[in-house]
Amino acid sequence: METSLDPQLAVRKTPLVANGRSLDWVTEKVSTIVEARTPFWWWVAFMITSPVALFGLICIAYQISTGVGVWGENHPVGWAWDITNFVFWIGIGHAGTLISAILFLTRQKWRTSINRASEAMTLFAVVCAGIFPGIHVGRVWMAWFLAPVPWYEGIWPNFRSPLLWDVFAVSTYFTVSVLFWYTGLVPDLATLRDRTTSRVKKFFFTLFALGWRGSNRNWRHYEMAYLILAGISTPLVLSVHSVVSFDFATSVIPGWHTTIFPPYFVAGAIFGGFAMVLTILLPARILYPQLKDLITPQHIDRMCKIILLTGSIVGYAYAMEFFIAWYGGNPYEQWAFLHNRLADPYLIGPALHIAPAPYWWAYWAMITCNVLSPQVFWFKKNRYNLWVVFIIVNFVNMGMWFERFVIIVTSLEQDFLPSMWHLYHPSWVEVGTFVGTFGIFLSLFLLFMRYLPMIAMSEIKIVLPESDPHYVAPGAHGTHGEDAHNPVPH
Amino acid sequence: MKRVFHHPPAPRGGKKYWRSLDELAGTEGFAEVLKREFPQGAAEFDGGEVSRRHFMKIMGASTALAGIGLAGCRRPEMHLVPFTKSAEWSIPGKFLFYTSAMPAANGYVPLIVTTYEGRPTKIEGNPYHPMNDGHGGTDLYAQASVLNLYDPDRARSFLNQGVETDEAAFGKYLDGLIAAYGGKQGDGLAILMEDDPSPTRERLRAAVTAKLPLTRWCVYEPLGGSKGAAEETAFGTGVRVRPLLEKADVVLSLDCDFLGSAEGTIEGVKGFSKRRRIDQPTEKLSRLYAVENRYTITGGMADHRLRIAASQVGVFAVQLAAEIGTATGDATLTGVTQTLGKTKATGSFPAGWVEELAKDLVANRGRALVLAGAQQPAAVHLLAAAMNAALGAPGNTLAGIATVSKPAAAIGDLAKDIADKKVSTLIILGGNPIYDAPADLDWPKLQVSIPNVVRVGSHVDETATFATWFAPRAHYLEYWGDGRSADGTYVAVQPMILPLFGGWSDNDVLARFAGLPKPAGPELVQETFREMGPAGDFDAAWNKFLHDGFLAGSDTGTSKTLFFLSAAAGASIGEGASLTALSGGGDYEIVFTPDFHVYDGRYNNNGWLQETPDPITKLTWDNAALISPATAKELGVENHEASGDMIEITLENGAKLEVPILIAPGHADRSISISVGYGRTETGRVGSGAGYNVYPLRSSQAPYYVFTQKVRATGGRGVLAITQEHFSMEGRAQIREGTMETFAENPTFAKVMGLDEELPKAGNPSLYSHPPLTAQEQWGMAIDLNTCTGCNACVVACQAENNSPIVGKEQVINGREMHWMRIDRYFASTDETDPDPEMLFEPLLCQQCENAPCETVCPVNATVHTPDGLNSMAYNRCIGTRYCANNCPYKVRRFNFFDYNQRPIQNHQLYYGPLTTKASPDTIKMQKNPNVTVRMRGVMEKCTFCVQRIEEARIATKVKAGASDNVKIPVDAFQSACQQACPNEAIAFGDITEPESKVSKLRASPRGYRLLEYLNTSPRVLYLAKLRNPNPRMPGAEKLAAFEKEEKKGGASPMTNGAGDASGGPK
Repeated sequence: METSLDPQLAVRKTPLVANGRSLDWVTEKVSTIVEARTPFWWWVAFMITSPVALFGLICIAYQISTGVGVWGENHPVGWAWDITNFVFWIGIGHAGTLISAILFLTRQKWRTSINRASEAMTLFAVVCAGIFPGIHVGRVWMAWFLAPVPWYEGIWPNFRSPLLWDVFAVSTYFTVSVLFWYTGLVPDLATLRDRTTSRVKKFFFTLFALGWRGSNRNWRHYEMAYLILAGISTPLVLSVHSVVSFDFATSVIPGWHTTIFPPYFVAGAIFGGFAMVLTILLPARILYPQLKDLITPQHIDRMCKIILLTGSIVGYAYAMEFFIAWYGGNPYEQWAFLHNRLADPYLIGPALHIAPAPYWWAYWAMITCNVLSPQVFWFKKNRYNLWVVFIIVNFVNMGMWFERFVIIVTSLEQDFLPSMWHLYHPSWVEVGTFVGTFGIFLSLFLLFMRYLPMIAMSEIKIVLPESDPHYVAPGAHGTHGEDAHNPVPH
Repeated sequence: MKRVFHHPPAPRGGKKYWRSLDELAGTEGFAEVLKREFPQGAAEFDGGEVSRRHFMKIMGASTALAGIGLAGCRRPEMHLVPFTKSAEWSIPGKFLFYTSAMPAANGYVPLIVTTYEGRPTKIEGNPYHPMNDGHGGTDLYAQASVLNLYDPDRARSFLNQGVETDEAAFGKYLDGLIAAYGGKQGDGLAILMEDDPSPTRERLRAAVTAKLPLTRWCVYEPLGGSKGAAEETAFGTGVRVRPLLEKADVVLSLDCDFLGSAEGTIEGVKGFSKRRRIDQPTEKLSRLYAVENRYTITGGMADHRLRIAASQVGVFAVQLAAEIGTATGDATLTGVTQTLGKTKATGSFPAGWVEELAKDLVANRGRALVLAGAQQPAAVHLLAAAMNAALGAPGNTLAGIATVSKPAAAIGDLAKDIADKKVSTLIILGGNPIYDAPADLDWPKLQVSIPNVVRVGSHVDETATFATWFAPRAHYLEYWGDGRSADGTYVAVQPMILPLFGGWSDNDVLARFAGLPKPAGPELVQETFREMGPAGDFDAAWNKFLHDGFLAGSDTGTSKTLFFLSAAAGASIGEGASLTALSGGGDYEIVFTPDFHVYDGRYNNNGWLQETPDPITKLTWDNAALISPATAKELGVENHEASGDMIEITLENGAKLEVPILIAPGHADRSISISVGYGRTETGRVGSGAGYNVYPLRSSQAPYYVFTQKVRATGGRGVLAITQEHFSMEGRAQIREGTMETFAENPTFAKVMGLDEELPKAGNPSLYSHPPLTAQEQWGMAIDLNTCTGCNACVVACQAENNSPIVGKEQVINGREMHWMRIDRYFASTDETDPDPEMLFEPLLCQQCENAPCETVCPVNATVHTPDGLNSMAYNRCIGTRYCANNCPYKVRRFNFFDYNQRPIQNHQLYYGPLTTKASPDTIKMQKNPNVTVRMRGVMEKCTFCVQRIEEARIATKVKAGASDNVKIPVDAFQSACQQACPNEAIAFGDITEPESKVSKLRASPRGYRLLEYLNTSPRVLYLAKLRNPNPRMPGAEKLAAFEKEEKKGGASPMTNGAGDASGGPK
């Protein structure tokens, strides 16, 4: 224990908060984001995202009133953008909880700068994800049949159906994520309550701060609850996307029927989730320059490393799918991978004498974005070049969408009986709904940035050197407890 | 308050009908009975429990009848009692069957019509008819004809100069005509009719002729061809040839699609399939040779097929005739072929084809048959007749039958008379000459030049718009009639419903002309029946006639022995000018073919037919120019997804047509086939805007094919809705076939194809537990691919039975057609570049898997298994996740993407959703089967194995069983709709646990295999592999059963080749 508290050791590490900011600085800078007048750029951004969200809602209303036919789906492609978007958003929702829970349990202190925003992002992503299973059904007004209410209907839902597992997995995940996020917010809400001068804000902050006094008892309970929630969330990170992958893995369709899916989907989800966290936080750092000291290049570097790792796992999974298709000797599966995905019109297709796959470009976009592009993160220079990082993470975002699209659509387009093979083309309504969910996601995130502390103040203070009881301010000679300038954080 | 019931007044004049002697006598007692609401003593019922309940029951039933029954209550009043008077044999929701027959030029189709509360809803073949041999099958058009009855666009009123008038005025006008022409003995009066072998119509024609002897009679069938005339030349006036295919070991089709609905007869189809239905390798399979320019379903069934231009068929016939003449020493053939020797040089066919074919035919003398296509020139028919004579076909494989119709003028003669102003009044019964008369006649101009044109038609169509008088024409389910079926048997046409729109039948019009009143009932037919019916009790005979639907033994009187008139035939063939053939250099032939969907255009407004995919091209809602891949390359055109490049065809006379191409594997090069019947300008909501009109290219001189040098790509594209875009099986052992040789070597050859060989002997275990299959009956099906011709009658039958909606061209392009049953069509060849691929069909419907992948994935338990082995679908429970459809390896599930039953499908209106009208036309609703739910949008549907028929049979069994527990449904007590419709009996459905059932017997065949067996879905549908019977000496015989050949080579891996995409067709 002594060594870990060795101040000499502490200074050797790059500090997690740059420029030696003090506890007070953290409170001040984070709180003022919420307290200051709404900046002009926020209005501009919101005026862009909210109409997009509204357009998405109009598309949904049109689809529900008229029929699923307004989308481009057909026989045999029963799912397309709807479930692609669902899996895409639910995947993005993985980073937040991973950062909050797994990194918390593994004592990764760098998580504290980014966990609040990532958790919020998770919630909003799950909100966007949750839209699709709800609206993709033919009779939305009957979707409650999915709920196990046998006393009303006389029958249970079908517990063998992975789609039902989805319902449970996603709703559990959402509930736990909300609780986790909210629990973490309580001390910060109390801080804001104490600082605010507006009566309205005071009312709401008081209400949601749950009477937080910062007492020892409060902290004890808080820490315990947080730990338990982290413990509950950790398996959920793994289970949700595994369950989502079962939608495909338990089916008989070549290209879906693959046992590698659960780990491959989880890795992909974390991969895509981190990319989205960076996509959001990099601009946020520019819009609120004070965040630059909290979300430092060091944080970005670590997230890039996770992206590199999970991207490589995903790449391995892609390769393994091909290997198994070849090794398994199942001609249908071989067809799905070679003829529906790999065969391009320029190199591999002609070399193998295979006609180009209808969506070959989607497959190759996926490979380029997900496997090739993160490889630049092997180089430290690239991980510290924010422009490079921003471009690559957006490639990853696109790549992860294409991954789901490729899995869903190319497998369905050409399955067992060639007579029913039929190409799929999206309609404007599908595209509009997807774009609309970005509007919803970004609008919610903008509201979150504006009205709630986007950095976990109380947690970040713990990682400040000053929070160490044995902290000695540079140049000071005081002993434990004597340094009046460095109060123990509350 | 007591209400005095007033009986309808007795009819004025005429006979007096009385109910009892009391009424006749006008006694007071009887008057009292009439006045009383209830019989004497009824009011004094003791009010006990039983009586009151009984009363309530009766009242309830009457109310129900009044509410439900009356809406569809339209029947001939003379024979049927209105439901308010409680017809005890009519129960709401229960069907009643009536026999009838559908008129068709090549023989009436004997039918049994299902009616519900007076609404005919479903057409089935009459199994008792002698040519049906215990299994009623029909063609596609008969199945779809019930929709024509309910076509909401049918003409609804009588028009005079376009102004609405009524029936009485029309009758008066007809009477006036008789008076006006009576003095001139009918000169100036002309009647244009369709070809219709109806004895009553002929009798009425004779009656008219007796009064107005100079009346001009003309019969025009756009697709009639020269077959009839040629047959009369060859075999004598009044004789028609009737091929007996079940007796033929070797059949040659010279461009004759005798298995197709447009040209074939049920008799021919059934006869052929009888010879293809074999269980053991020791049985003899007939052999079919087909010579044609485009793939027809006959060509698909052929063991050997020669792909030549339609105009070369005559040349081929001459060469073959020469060979047969030499081999048989037949004088006529030798003589004729020598005169035609010059033509012989112009055709070159694959070496050995003609010789080997001739050898095979001659070797099977007496058991061989040559059939010529209806559209082929007379010379080809005569050559075929001569060859048949030489091969000893007459009396063996060919029978004769008397024609019903008396000779009538051709439309060309009538046109000449009109041009010479000899016709002042023209009555057009049916047909549509303005649209389909030969272009050189310039019929519209002729018709306008006639002062009075009376048009009796089902729709206000092109011809009707240029008529002075228009009368709606009754549908065959609305009138009394009669006819001769293909085998010559006399059949009855019974009305099922009063004319919905007050239409008149041809018989009604002719009767009026003959000075008879418009018949109110079957009087006219009865009179005809009196002449040919059996002696003795007329009523009994008549009732039996209606009950059976045919007059037993009536074909014998019409059978004629065939005598080949060699001299006359030889002389006619000598006019070799009609055998001009495609010369090759720079020339294209344009071939006008009957259309699969709309025939000659008459079914243009029938949505079922429009949406049933063409068996060969899988095209819906359109016609297109079919060309071979090589010709497409030559013209620089190709097919794209859901469209084809447009070509412009210009004839020498300047007629032009722009039409999209459709690349058709197996099509002859430099030959362009376009079906007629599309591009109608005056038609209903379904047919308008569909396709391209080919009739303007068609002339009296060249009714079948015409040559031109001017064919060019225009650069435009035409949208085409095709339901199957992939042509190749990709080596997937989906349709398994073998040659007779293979079958003899290994009767179970089909069980080891594809991945089936790799299956564990003990079978695969299932991951899931399944509820036990405990019911007494276990339903299953067997489909014999060797007898299935791919005619699609089952597809329409399924649609009619199960209330499947049509979705329109736009939705078909989007891949959303709703057929529960489809016929998969593949082309197969060992070499991808082979221009002569084989064509294979396979009906696909829900396989009712015991381990159904759809059931496990449905989150709401909407699709579950029943104890009798059905994979059932609870529409009310379905929320439409489409997961089941995704996970179905057979892709047989159909999703209601829109409210197809409620919203208009035309003009993109489905996409307007709630902004469109929400209702289907009332008449369309009348067609619906009340025992099948009409599905709403957002639910999944699929084949149910006709569960309503199963339940109907179960209820009947239980009712019969009463208190006993003998509730097992009798063997083969009922049939599924597809099984019933199949004229080939290729589909057997029933209890697979019952060894005596048809399905069990078929399933016992060694050729059985299940689709995608390796997935362990355990389907309840068994396919029997297709067999080919190649002549080993024939060129190309080694290529047959391509897939099997690949398998034998030991490497049909879809990774590498498979039976490649034999086409360059739409990708």
